[in-house]
Amino acid sequence: MTAFIDLYTESGTFLHRMDPRVKIVAVATLSLLALIMSHLVYLLVLTAVMVVLILLGRASFQKTMLAFSYVFRVMALIVVLWPIFNPGGTPVLFELGPIRITEPGIMAGIATAVRIFCLAASWYLLMFTTSQRDLVCGLVKMGLRFDFGLSLAMALRFLPTFSAIVESIKDAQRARGMELDKGNLRKRARDYVAVLVPTIITALKMADMLSLALQSRAYGARSDRTYVRELKMLAGDYVALSIAVAVFAIPATAKYIFSIPL
Amino acid sequence: MASVSMESKTTQTTVGVPPAKFVPPRTVALYAVLTALTTAVTMILVIPLPTRGYFNVGDAMVFFSAFTFGWRAGMICGGIGSALADLLLGFGFFAPITLVAKGSEGLVAGVLGRAYGGATWAKVLGIWAGGSCMVTTYFVGEWILFGFGNAALELPLNVGQVLLGGLIGLALSQAISRYRNPRPKAT
Repeated sequence: MTAFIDLYTESGTFLHRMDPRVKIVAVATLSLLALIMSHLVYLLVLTAVMVVLILLGRASFQKTMLAFSYVFRVMALIVVLWPIFNPGGTPVLFELGPIRITEPGIMAGIATAVRIFCLAASWYLLMFTTSQRDLVCGLVKMGLRFDFGLSLAMALRFLPTFSAIVESIKDAQRARGMELDKGNLRKRARDYVAVLVPTIITALKMADMLSLALQSRAYGARSDRTYVRELKMLAGDYVALSIAVAVFAIPATAKYIFSIPL
Repeated sequence: MASVSMESKTTQTTVGVPPAKFVPPRTVALYAVLTALTTAVTMILVIPLPTRGYFNVGDAMVFFSAFTFGWRAGMICGGIGSALADLLLGFGFFAPITLVAKGSEGLVAGVLGRAYGGATWAKVLGIWAGGSCMVTTYFVGEWILFGFGNAALELPLNVGQVLLGGLIGLALSQAISRYRNPRPKAT
C-alpha cells in the first residue's frame, strides 16, 4: 500500500494560514457535529460544505483520492451491510428468510456512509492544510508539555527515515534469498522478524545518538524556554474559531435541548 | 583557581532559572524512535488478504515496545504510533479509536508481559489480554461508527492480525533482549 508520508499540500489559501489550534478545534467540533446528526439531508449539506472547503484549500487531487480510497471502500460496505443487520420499520422491500431489507434501513445505511465521509473529510482538511511542524506547535501551545511535543516532532521527522530503512533492509534480505511475497503466514512471520530485528537494532542505536544530541543542546537546562516560532491568533482566526464552535453548538442545542429532530 | 567572585557569578545565573522538569533525554529519544518505527511498520508492512483488507504488522511493534521497554512505552509509543499511521493513511477520524485500542493493548501487554522477569508464558498472556483489549475496542468503535455488519466483518481480521503481531512481537522481544543483555533496564 503506497501512501504519502505527509498529506500536507503546500499552498497559500486561508485554510493554510489559519492558526493550527483553530483547525484542531474545528476538526473536533465538525466530527462531533457529524456524529450527532442522523438526518440524511443535513448530512448531505455538511458533505457539500466539506467538499467546498477541500476545493477552497486546493488539495492535490492525487493525494485526496489516495486518502479517501479506504473511506470509499468502507462506505460501500456500510451501504451494503447496514440494511441487512438493521431491519426495522416499514415499508419492507425484500424478505428472504432471516434477512429483511426495509427502506428506513437503506436510508439509515446511506446516512451512516455519508457521515463517515464527513468525518474523514474534516480530518483530511486538517491534515492537508497543516504542516507537521505547525501541528506539533499548535498542540504544545494548547498545553502539551514541551518534551512530549519534542518527542512527537522527532517521531514525525524520523518516519521517512525508518520507512527507507525498512525498505532497504527488505531489499538486503531479498538479496540474501528471502522471498517476502510468498508463503503461508508462518513463513511470512519469520520473514518479518528477519526484516524487523536489524531495523530495530538500527533504530535503538539512533536513539542513543539522539539522546546524546539532546543533551549536548542543553535539553531541559532552563524552564523558561523561548520559541523561534510563535503562534499568534489573528482576528480572522478568532472569527473562524467562533464559527467552528457555533457550527456545532447551535445544532447540538437544537437537538438535545429543544428536541428538534436532526 | 577561579576567584570567589567569578564562581559565585556563574552559580547565580544557573540558580536564578531552575532546570525544566522534563523526562530524561534518553526517554524522549527512545519513545520518538519507537513511535516512528511503529508508524512506519504499520504503514509499510502490510499483507493483503484474499478477501478485502490488509493485515498490518504494527501490533508486533506495540508488543515489542511493551515487552522490552515497559507498559509506558507500549502504551504511548504503540498508541500514538498506530494513531499516527491512521492520520497519515487517510482515515484520521479513526485515530482516536486506534489510540485507545493500541494504547490499551500496549498497556496491558506491558504490565502482564514483564511479570516473572519476562517469562515466555507471561508474554503470551500479555499478548492474549492486550489483544483482547484491542479487538474489543475496535469492535465497539466500528459498531458505533460503521454499524454491526462492518464490525462483525472486521472482527476475525483483527483477531488474526493480533495473533500474527503477537507471534512476531514475541520473537522480536526475545531476539532483541539477547542483543541488549549487557545494557541496564528501562522503565
